[in-house]
Amino acid sequence: MSITNLLQNWSDFRQQHPSDERPHQEYKWAMSIDLDLCTGCNACSVACYAENNLPAVGKEKFSHGHSHHWLRIERYWHNEDREYADQGAQFLPMMCQQCEAAPCETVCPVGATNHTADGLNSQVYNRCVGSRYCNANCPYKARYFNWYDYPTTADVWPAPMEQQLNPDVTVRGKGVMEKCTFCVQRLTVAKSNARTEGRSVHDGEVQTACQQACPTGAISFGNLIDPESRVAKQWEKQQVKLNHDKQAKDAVHDGDKLRGYRILENLRTYPSVMYLEQLREGAI
Amino acid sequence: MYRFLRLSVLLVGLIAAVGSVAVHAAQPLTTADDLGPVVDQPIEFPHDRHAGDAAKGGMQINCMYCHTYARRSNVAGIPPLQKCIGCHRSIESVRETPRIKKLFEYWEAKKPVPWKKVHDLPDFVRFNHERHIQRFVFAQEKPVQEACGYCHGDVKTMTVARRQKPLSMGWCVSCHQKDHPVSATSTKTTHGPNDCWQCHK
Amino acid sequence: MIENSFNRRDFLKVLGWGGATVALSGCGNTSVEDGREYVTSYVETADYIIPSIGTYFNSTCAQCDAGCGIMGRVREGRVLKLEGNPDSPINSGKMCGLGQAGVQAHYNPDRVREPLLRNGDKGEAITWEKALQLVSEKVASANPGSVAFLTGGVSGHVKVLLKNYLDAIGSDQHYVYEAVAPSVVRAANKKAYGVEMPRLRLDRAKVVVSFGADFLGTWVSPVHFSRQYAKFRKGVNGERGVLVQVESKMTITGANADRWLAIRPGTEGILALGLVNALSAAGLTVPAEVAAAVKDYTLDRVSNDTGVSVEHIGKLTALLKDRSPSLVIAGGAAEGYAHGSQNAAAVALLNQVLGNVGKTVEAPASMPFPQMAPITGNRSSLQALNDSIAQDGVKVLFNCGANPIYSAPASMNMKESLKKVPFKVAFAHYMDETAMEADLVLPLNSSMEGWGTVVPEYFAEGAQLNIQQPLMEKLHPGTLGMGDVLLALLKQRRPAEYSGYEDYYAYLKNAMVAIKGALGGENEDDDVFWDSVLSQGVVKLTSSSNALVSSASAAGLQLPPPAVEDGTYPLRLIPAVTPNMRDGRHANEPWLQESPDPLTTIVWDSWVEMHPKTAAKLGVVEGDIVEVASKNGAIKGQVYVYSGIHPDVISVPLGYGHEAMGRYSKGVGANAFKILDPVFDQQTGELAMYETRVKVTKAGKRVIVVKDEGPAGGNQSGRRIALRMASGKVNLAEEV
Repeated sequence: MSITNLLQNWSDFRQQHPSDERPHQEYKWAMSIDLDLCTGCNACSVACYAENNLPAVGKEKFSHGHSHHWLRIERYWHNEDREYADQGAQFLPMMCQQCEAAPCETVCPVGATNHTADGLNSQVYNRCVGSRYCNANCPYKARYFNWYDYPTTADVWPAPMEQQLNPDVTVRGKGVMEKCTFCVQRLTVAKSNARTEGRSVHDGEVQTACQQACPTGAISFGNLIDPESRVAKQWEKQQVKLNHDKQAKDAVHDGDKLRGYRILENLRTYPSVMYLEQLREGAI
Repeated sequence: MYRFLRLSVLLVGLIAAVGSVAVHAAQPLTTADDLGPVVDQPIEFPHDRHAGDAAKGGMQINCMYCHTYARRSNVAGIPPLQKCIGCHRSIESVRETPRIKKLFEYWEAKKPVPWKKVHDLPDFVRFNHERHIQRFVFAQEKPVQEACGYCHGDVKTMTVARRQKPLSMGWCVSCHQKDHPVSATSTKTTHGPNDCWQCHK
Repeated sequence: MIENSFNRRDFLKVLGWGGATVALSGCGNTSVEDGREYVTSYVETADYIIPSIGTYFNSTCAQCDAGCGIMGRVREGRVLKLEGNPDSPINSGKMCGLGQAGVQAHYNPDRVREPLLRNGDKGEAITWEKALQLVSEKVASANPGSVAFLTGGVSGHVKVLLKNYLDAIGSDQHYVYEAVAPSVVRAANKKAYGVEMPRLRLDRAKVVVSFGADFLGTWVSPVHFSRQYAKFRKGVNGERGVLVQVESKMTITGANADRWLAIRPGTEGILALGLVNALSAAGLTVPAEVAAAVKDYTLDRVSNDTGVSVEHIGKLTALLKDRSPSLVIAGGAAEGYAHGSQNAAAVALLNQVLGNVGKTVEAPASMPFPQMAPITGNRSSLQALNDSIAQDGVKVLFNCGANPIYSAPASMNMKESLKKVPFKVAFAHYMDETAMEADLVLPLNSSMEGWGTVVPEYFAEGAQLNIQQPLMEKLHPGTLGMGDVLLALLKQRRPAEYSGYEDYYAYLKNAMVAIKGALGGENEDDDVFWDSVLSQGVVKLTSSSNALVSSASAAGLQLPPPAVEDGTYPLRLIPAVTPNMRDGRHANEPWLQESPDPLTTIVWDSWVEMHPKTAAKLGVVEGDIVEVASKNGAIKGQVYVYSGIHPDVISVPLGYGHEAMGRYSKGVGANAFKILDPVFDQQTGELAMYETRVKVTKAGKRVIVVKDEGPAGGNQSGRRIALRMASGKVNLAEEV
C-alpha cells in the first residue's frame, strides 16, 4: 500500500459515525458488562495479560503511566461526605470501547487505526508511527503506548518467561500504540472454523479472555447482528441502540427500569460496550 | 552420476518454469515471480520425485498427503518423520541411497530433521492455509497443485523447494482485491478480506 | 516435536524491531527470513496435535488450596494459558487472577533448577543421586523419631506416600503450617454444627451477612463463592440478594456489599448476639436458653460497644427477619482475636436461630478416602514443631510448601529455632527465606510439569478427586516432583513394596486403577479408565454427607467487652489478606505485583491504610512514609488514606517484604507478618492475627504512591461513568 494509494482511499480509513451505507454484514462484535456482578477481583485483567502478551512493566514505569493493562478495573466511591464508604465501592472494567465513530481513528496521520468490517477498531502496529494522537483523542484513555522495547531492553520476559507468550498475538515493539482488540485472534479462529463449516459463529462459540475468566459471569460478548445472541438480547432488553447517542433510559426519569448505558455516549462515539448499572439495596 | 541427476532435475525444473510463464501470464492469480534464496536443507528433499508428473518420473502424490495440516490449520506443516518412514520402510529400491540412509539415521536416533523454513512470513502476520485451501481446493474445486502453486510456485518441478513469489503485503493484496467465484458452480464472486486485522495480528 | 527454541528467539527478534519496520512493511518489504528459521518437524505425533492449534489438557490449579479445575492451552509443546475447566463443580470454567498467574510460577526465571548442597554461605549444585543418598544417610543416622516433615496443606496420593514414609522410618512428626487459614472458624464450626466447614449456599440465601469473611477475594474457595454470588445477586424470582458485610477494614467482599458496616475491632460476636436478641424481641422464635443468654445485649449497649448505629442494627434485624433463608458467615475478621472462637460461635448461633441450618448451611460431602483428605494446620502446629526442636527432638527436617521464616511472627523466632536442626532439607520452587536456611535444597517440578492428585478443602458439590498432570515437558531437567522424591525415599526403606514402581506416575496410575470401582469405573478396562480420568481432570466420588447439628445453644458463650485502648500502642493492626498476594507465596509472579489491589489500586508495594480521621490525628497524608511499630518490631510503609476502614485500626497487606525468593518480590514492600503480637485464640491456640497493637509515627519522607485510580483519580468529576441505582427499581427476572 503506497502513500498515493492511501491518499486515494482516505475515506476508507475514516468513519464519522455509524452509517447506513456500510452496515455490518455478518458480525458486529459487542459486549455487555453487568456492573452489579463485577466484584473488582481483577481476574479479567490478569487473563488479558496472559492472552495478549502484555508486559508487566514494574513500579518505576508504572509510576510514569507506562502500564499496559488493556483491561483495567476502575474503582469509584459514592460516599460523598459520609464518614465511611458504607455502600461499598464501584468497580468498572474499562477497555477499548470499540467505538463505531472512534475519535482515535480520525486523528491518526497514517491510518494505523481504522474500522473493520466486524465493527472493531483495529490497530495495526506495522503502520503505527507513534504520534500518539489517538491516545490524546481517546475519551476512555484505553490506549497504551510502548515507550520501551519490552522484549529486549526492558527485559520484561527473562528466559524462560518468553515461552509463555501467545504466538497468535504480536509482541509489540517500541514506539507503537496498542489497545484491547476484543481478542481478535480468537474471533478470527472462530470465524474461520465457522466458514469452513459453512455457517456463522454460534453465540458462545467464541469468548474473550476476560469473559472466559470472569468468576461471576459479569461480561458477555457476542455478535450484535445475531438476534439470538445473549448480547443482542441484552441490548434489546435494555433498549440500547448502537447508532443512537441518547437511549430510552435517558428519556425516563422516575421509575426507570432500565440499567443499560454506554459511557460518555454524549460524545457520539457510539461505543460497542454496554454497561449495566450497579444496584444497591435501600432496605439496609 | 548423482551430480548429473541433480543437474538434469534442475534443468527440467528450469525449463518447466520458463514454459509456465506464458501460461501463468494469462491468469490473474499470479504476479511476477520473485525468487527466494537457495536454502540448504539437511536432506535434499526431491519434491519432483514425490509430486511430479508420472511422465517425468514423479509419483504424483497429493501435496496434502504430506503437508497434511494445510486444510485444517494456519500452517501447512512439515510432515512428521514417522510419515516419511511409513512409506520408505517398504520401498526397498531406494533404501540404500544416501538421502534415505540419512533419513533413517534421524529416525533411529528419534531426532527431528532440522528443516529450514523456505516460506517465511513475518511473525506479525496471520496467514491461514486452511482458508485458502478450503476456498480454492474444496469450494472452487481447483486442482491441489494449482491452488498451492498460487503462492508456492510449481513445487512439483523442484527438488528442494525455493520461494517463487514475493509473499509481500502488496502481493497478497493484489489477489485479495480481485473477485473470485465463491464455488465451482456458483457465478457469485467475492474478493478476499481486506481489513488490516484479517492478516495483521 | 516442533522445536521452538530456534523459532522463539527469532520470533522475539523479528517482533522486537517490528516498530522499526513499520514504515517499510507497508511498502513491499517484509522481514521475511527465508532459509534462516528452522521448522523442525515432529518425529512422531498424535492425531490430535495440529501445529498452530492449541490443545487443552485438564489439570488442577495449585495456586491456592481451593482446587479449581483448569485447562491448559498447549501449543507446540508449551503451555500458554490456563482456562477454567467447565466440568469442575468448584469453578465451573472460571478462574481468578491468582490462578491465571500460575503460568508465571511455572516459567518463573527465579526457579531453583538443580539440587543445592550448603557449602558455607553458598549452595553447591549436586546430582539427585547424591542428594537422595545424602538424605538417606542423614535419616538413617538420626533417631527414627527425630525426622520431621513441615508442609503446607497437603492431600491426595502425596499425602499417602508422606504418611507411609514417616511410618517406614518410624516417626510421627508431621507438622502442617499454613500462614493464613480459617482454623479458628473451622474449630468453632465443628462445635456448633458438628463439621469443620459446612457447605454454604449463597445461591439460596436472600440475605448474606458476612462478619469479615472475604469470600469473593480470599476466603476458602473464592471462585466458587463468586459463582454462587452471581446467582445470589440475580436472586430467586428476580429478587436480588442483599449482602451486608461487617468488618473493621474493607475487603473486596465489603466493597461489593449493599451495606458495609465498620465495626469496632473484635466486637463482631457482640453484634451477632445483639442481633439474636433483637430478632427475639422482634418475634422470632428463639430457644429460651438462648434468649436468656443474650438478653443483656440490648440495642443501645450493642451499638455502644460495636460502633454500629442503632438504626443499622434495627434495619439489619428487620432484613433478617423478613427475608428468609439468610446466611451468616464468620471469616477472618471475626476469628482474628483472642476470643475469636467465641466470635465465630456467636455467628454460628445467629445462623441457627435464623433457621438457616439445613437451608443455606448444608452438610458437606465427606471424603470416602480419608487417607487422601486434605490435612490443614496453622500456627499451633508450627509451635509444636518449635517445641520439639527446643527439646532436641528434630534431627532431620523436611520442609515443603511452608515458609515459616517469612510468615511466622518474629516472636516465634523461627530462624534461630531452625538453626538448631542439624540437617534441614527444603523442597523448593524458589530460594525463599526458609530454603535459604536449608542444608539441602531439592528443586520441585512446577504444578504444570508433574503428576498428582488433589482433594480440595471445600467441596462445591459432592466429594471429588482432582487430577494434576503435566501440561508440558519439564523446563529444567534437574527438577523432580514431590511424589517422585517420596517414592525414591520409600524405595530405600520398603523396597519390597515400592520398587515395582518405576516412577510416581506408575505408582499413581496403579493406585488410581486399584480403586477404580469407587471412582465410577468398575466396568472399564484399566487403560480406558485411566485415560478418561486424565481427560476429565476431575473424578466425582460417591459420598455420603455428614449430619449437621442444628439446635441452637448459647452454652459456653462468653464474650469480653470491647478492648480498652492501649496508651502506648493506640491503634490495631489488621494484616490484610489481599486477592493478589494472599500469604505471599506468589509474590514473585509479576502479573500479581502489577495487578492493582482492588481497593487501593496500589501496585508493586505495600501500604499503610488508614481512615481520614486517623490520618488527620497523626498529621499524615497520602504518600507519607510512616513507621508502624508494635511491641515486636517495626515496619515502614507509605500511607494510603480512604474511608473503608475503622478509625481505630490501620491495615497493612500481607505477602510483601520478602528478603529472598526472586527478582520480582525481594525488597518489594514490607512484611507485616513480622510485627504481629503473640496473642492467641483462647480455645484453639491459633495466632490471633488481628490483636496486634501498634503506634504509627511519621518517618519523614513523602513519596508518590504508585497506584492506578484511573485518569480521573477515582473521581467521576460529575461525568456519568460508573452509575448506580436503587435495586428496588429493577426486576432482575425480566433481564436477560
